[in-house]
Amino acid sequence: MPVDPSAHAWFMWAAYAAVTVILGGYALALWRRASRLGR
Amino acid sequence: MSAAADRAGVVVRRGLALVATGLLGLAGVFVVALRYTPIERFQGLPQKIFYVHVPAAWCALLAFSVVGVASILYLWLRDSRLDLFAESAASAGLVFSTVMLTTGPLWGKPIWGTWWTWDARLTFTLFLFFLFLGYRALRGALHDPGERARYSAVVGIMGMVLVPFVHLTVYLFPTVHPQPIVLKPSSPSLPWEMLRTLLLSLAAYTVLLVGFVTTRYGLGRAAEARGAQDAG
Repeated sequence: MPVDPSAHAWFMWAAYAAVTVILGGYALALWRRASRLGR
Repeated sequence: MSAAADRAGVVVRRGLALVATGLLGLAGVFVVALRYTPIERFQGLPQKIFYVHVPAAWCALLAFSVVGVASILYLWLRDSRLDLFAESAASAGLVFSTVMLTTGPLWGKPIWGTWWTWDARLTFTLFLFFLFLGYRALRGALHDPGERARYSAVVGIMGMVLVPFVHLTVYLFPTVHPQPIVLKPSSPSLPWEMLRTLLLSLAAYTVLLVGFVTTRYGLGRAAEARGAQDAG
């Protein structure tokens, strides 16, 4: 049965936020380790 | 700085460039998925989790397969660079598994009515995740480089053996997890707008995976070069 398209929208936003935090966080951790290389 | 450290620095810079490209691509995917891809009629907005969940699963399984192949090559050739490459791929695989295991329940709750169920696909995926956490723990516990590389290669190969099972679970034990709609014998059963967004996301995630592995490998090589310099 078709649903109200906006129902449960927060699950979608939470998933996209989680992807940003996890992948962005790992990228940031690598960048910080790389920036210490030259010292 | 030694020539080896210079070469490692170049690898790190290339890796970081790929990571930046992948992150920009991912930002583009978010815009295309949220703004320009139609809302699925039966699931509504939570279906858009598909565009970030499936590519994470693809990258995790690809990374764990790479760990297995590099581990086999290490046991054959005994080249420490292969061990380092396997470790780099395992770390990236764990990151993408974390994405998969976070976005999956966020999709499952509104659609299945539960955050988690002991469906074969979900259970095998969690098992694979724990196996590679064990791989990381094993590496941390062993201090002799040769022993560490040998033991972790065996665990890495066992992890790779599980990958096809994870893919086939939905056929062998069909319960709640949907069957593949793109990677299947017949042609993909998705409208073009949705398939386009998925393919874009797969491309961005794959660039990110290559960037993560390259950067991690370069950092490992730089640490080795520094260790050799200090010893010398």
